[in-house]
Amino acid sequence: MTVNLASMVARFGRRHGFVIVILIVYISISVAAPSFFGTGNLINMFHVMAPLMVVASGMALIVMSGKLDISVGSTAYVASAIFALLMRENTIPVALGWTIALAAGLAAGTINALIIVYLRVNALIATLGTMIAFRGFGLLLTDGGLIEMPEAVKPLGNVMLGPIYADTVLALIIVAAMHFVHRSTSFGRQITAIGNNEDVARRIGIPVDRRVFASFITSGLLGAAGGIMYTMQVAVSTSKIGEGMEFIAIAVVVVGGISLFGGRGNILTAVVLGALLFQMIRSGLQHLGANPYSYRLVEGVVIFLAMYVDALKAERVGGIRLRRQEET
Amino acid sequence: MTAPYLRMHAISKHFPGVAALKRADLEAYRGEAMALMGANGAGKSTLMHVLGGIVSKDEGEIIVDGRQRDFHSPIESLEEGVGFVYQELNSLPSMTIAENIFADGFPQRYGRIDFQACEGKTREILQRLGSQLNPRATVEALNTGDRQLIEIARALRRNPKILIFDEPTSSLSQRERQRLFDVIAGLKRDGVAIIYITHFVDEIFAVCERVTVMRNGKTVFKGQIDQVTSQEIVHEMMGTVENESRLAPDQKKQSHIVLEIDQLSRADELQSISLSLREGEIVGIWGLLGSGRTELIRAMIGLDPIDHGRLRWRGQDGTLVEIAPESLHALSGIVTEDRRGEGVFLPLSTSENIILPNIRAIANRVGIVDRGKQKKIARDMIRRLGIKVTSEDQTVATLSGGNQQKVVFGRSLASSPRLFLLDEPTRGLDVGAKTEILKLILDLAAAGAAIVLVSSELEELMRICDRYLVMSRGRIVAELPGAASKRDLLAAISTRRATPEARQ
Amino acid sequence: MTVYQTEAPIPELRSRLIRPLISFALCIVVVAILALYAPSFFKLNNIINILVQTSTLAVMAVGMAIVMIGGGIDLSLPFNAALSAVLGAMYMRTTGDPAGGLAVMIITAIAIGAFNGIAVGYFRMIPFVVTLAMMTVANGAAVWLTNSISIADIPDAFVDPFFRRYLGIPLSVYIAVVVSLFAILLSSITVYGRWLYAVGINSKAARVARIPDRKVIALSYVIAGLMAGIAAIMLTGRLASASANLASPTIVLDVVSACVVGGISVYGGSGKIHGAIFGALFMTLLNNALNAAEVTIYVNQIVRGAIIVAFVAFDRFAARGIAR
Repeated sequence: MTVNLASMVARFGRRHGFVIVILIVYISISVAAPSFFGTGNLINMFHVMAPLMVVASGMALIVMSGKLDISVGSTAYVASAIFALLMRENTIPVALGWTIALAAGLAAGTINALIIVYLRVNALIATLGTMIAFRGFGLLLTDGGLIEMPEAVKPLGNVMLGPIYADTVLALIIVAAMHFVHRSTSFGRQITAIGNNEDVARRIGIPVDRRVFASFITSGLLGAAGGIMYTMQVAVSTSKIGEGMEFIAIAVVVVGGISLFGGRGNILTAVVLGALLFQMIRSGLQHLGANPYSYRLVEGVVIFLAMYVDALKAERVGGIRLRRQEET
Repeated sequence: MTAPYLRMHAISKHFPGVAALKRADLEAYRGEAMALMGANGAGKSTLMHVLGGIVSKDEGEIIVDGRQRDFHSPIESLEEGVGFVYQELNSLPSMTIAENIFADGFPQRYGRIDFQACEGKTREILQRLGSQLNPRATVEALNTGDRQLIEIARALRRNPKILIFDEPTSSLSQRERQRLFDVIAGLKRDGVAIIYITHFVDEIFAVCERVTVMRNGKTVFKGQIDQVTSQEIVHEMMGTVENESRLAPDQKKQSHIVLEIDQLSRADELQSISLSLREGEIVGIWGLLGSGRTELIRAMIGLDPIDHGRLRWRGQDGTLVEIAPESLHALSGIVTEDRRGEGVFLPLSTSENIILPNIRAIANRVGIVDRGKQKKIARDMIRRLGIKVTSEDQTVATLSGGNQQKVVFGRSLASSPRLFLLDEPTRGLDVGAKTEILKLILDLAAAGAAIVLVSSELEELMRICDRYLVMSRGRIVAELPGAASKRDLLAAISTRRATPEARQ
Repeated sequence: MTVYQTEAPIPELRSRLIRPLISFALCIVVVAILALYAPSFFKLNNIINILVQTSTLAVMAVGMAIVMIGGGIDLSLPFNAALSAVLGAMYMRTTGDPAGGLAVMIITAIAIGAFNGIAVGYFRMIPFVVTLAMMTVANGAAVWLTNSISIADIPDAFVDPFFRRYLGIPLSVYIAVVVSLFAILLSSITVYGRWLYAVGINSKAARVARIPDRKVIALSYVIAGLMAGIAAIMLTGRLASASANLASPTIVLDVVSACVVGGISVYGGSGKIHGAIFGALFMTLLNNALNAAEVTIYVNQIVRGAIIVAFVAFDRFAARGIAR
């Protein structure tokens, strides 16, 4: 009898483990810092993490295919810079500003896609290069960084829909959309197949190059969207925007359960819960009155643990897969 | 006589260092199964890869239904109605059965996948194959037999006119095999042209109407199954150079046992292997891909772990002492199955390749390598083995297959090991090079080394072995003395014994 | 069994010659730009300046090159240097002991390198993931420990040697030369060096050839850690301060670029150490040239990003049997 109970608990834990972790963390922080607790803060956290959710959903797609895009932070910055520059003059409608900035994200994603698919450069190196180059481009446009936007824009970035923020809703819609794409479209399923085993996918007849190309364009677009969202929240564009965001996005995705080896995971829960965890850490540290400089360290440790756990998990589950990956 | 639906004519294909196909021919007829047979390296897989669009042909024509075709990619071949069920499984482990089957062509409605149609069709196809599997099940959890069924299902999805099976039964149980035969019978009734590649002669009599035999990249025989005997087929597969080419001396003195393997096991792959080896003895192990023969060698030298079992080695004083696999590795000469993948370092020079395993022997206390010694050893080895190079600095990638293999041997010889583990040492070599290598192996045995020779070419084994072992599914299923006749050996390898049920 | 060959790409003889020629040609271009925009560039003083700038980058590039030849990558190298510098500086601030500070820096850096090495070599984890994780922790730790402020009270005994010249040449250059020589010798004439290349070319074949591949890989990260430690010392000495900002993704890019430009393949098994050193020199010259041509730092960044992509892309085209 006890054996059965134990295995049932284990199975429940494995399936819903992450939610349990979130609850434990939430409760622990609330106990340690009562000001943290409550719907007010919860709504606020979801507001602040909206841009991260958007960027992470693009990253989730890339990771699902077994690749990485570390340029999204810089893409977010470029979009933010372009948007802020356009808005500064206050002559064009906000929607147009959005469109142009998103187009920039599309262009960035296309550049990455061309380099990775056509020049056949390894995704890590390619996006390392574009990470630096894109930021340089953004800095060039803004000549150093700080662009303030007209006062009119700020409320837009923080507008509420009933009890919650509009951008939270928008972000959740985007994540849900990516989840839908992943689960129920041919593109999403084929990306997952590529993540399972790129060689097998090719042999089966999946147009791998085309799918990878599309995935990087999507990542660029969503990176830009995240950048715009963030800029609207703070009504200013600085040179620091998006710095390190790509690594947090990767961490969110991994913590949320999408394996870096590709092909596994649930986008909706991974992005929402993963981003929530990171936001709770940040918010919790704030409420605990911790040294602001400790944020990066704590986040770093969480990222560190998440990646190690992911690697060890993959080794155990897909031992064969790992060996085959070695061979290629 | 109906015209063949598929005609492959005078197909040639070269890979660097190897001529894989030399004007090979093949025909296939609708509603019939054509057996394609040949030893390892005969070219049957390559010919089918040409048909499947995986490799491009250098010369020749492919004519499908009267029209000339050329396949540059798997997609083109699929669209022309060629289905391929590979020997290696193409599974997407984390995805469902239905997703695996439809991965390259999901049915869609308004941009989203129509899962109902997908699952419905999957169920249909699976039922046609006699399976009750749930389309929603994840492939990861399935056993090999079921995974293969899914491969077939995926191929069937496109209603192929030509369906190729590449060694489909090596990992199947008796029951699964019968199911496969029923499936093929059904496909024939539906008018599909089947090409059935296999090693097992008895199977083709159960399933096929015609047979094509290949050897050394050429087609050497084409005929109807009801007009030929299995002996004739195997004869064509192996070639006629049998008795006169026996190279080994007929009598060999009884000598000491130097290596004892006692119940070596690992999970599903090796089941309680026991054998002993004597000084100067050449033991041949025959088996197919998946039989465990390469796994055995790898386990013996510690490249893969062992769950149970012991190794015992004859020490200086003459007693057999237990030895760890890693230690065995250090004192044996190894030739691996995958020469280009695991045997040589292609970008490095010949001399570098030769001395690498023993490089510490020519370095001083601080670790600095003595280039002079390296040169000398390399040159010695080149001379001794007759490796054709312009100099010891020539890059191994530019050597012919035979010379590359000699380099691999050269690596091991430097330390004069008493044990050699050779896995397909003559694969991909031309006849002359093969003979040279076999003679070299004989010399090594004559000098007192114990040799394990793994091969899927019976002819090769028969030329030099003192004893034969047959492996299948991780077990040694037959043992034959050196004096065994060709007929006995063929009987042992071409028929399937009553194999145990597939592990679940 | 794929359509396309899966062997490691082997550079054709032709491209083996072309590659250094292209790098050389680029060097000429860069020098030409310098000659044009900054004729004062070629004064001895400035040349020495360039060498000093190059020396830290060269030391890090050497460490990275060793890891890359073995088939890995170490994104945490510059951040390792920053953290080690910070820890050493903190130690010296409390105790005023320069020798101890030196020791702290080296030991910390080697420890971090060993951690990476064990994870990649023995636990077979993916180098990118492991070193990325380490990078974030090292960066976070450095920021936290210093509250993002530079530590400036470094004992004179530590800093002075870096401001003097010995036979007209600064200490940094000597250090870089010694380190380079060590690495060149290690990679070309020792057993370890041969093993490293073999493992980088094909780790499976290496195992069959009785090479202790796990040890070799782990050790490569330890060496990279050592280089990070030496770089930490050089940076702290020259800047007379230590901070978390000693490292940034741009520096990671520079170090990797130096290796790539110098002919070290990201796939492992090829390239020579002196190439990485040359690459470091090239990156420094490039930087200076762009500055001299009064190109904004932003365009500078764009160029750097483009360079690494261009070089890796070229290497892929040049390699025979392009493995898809």
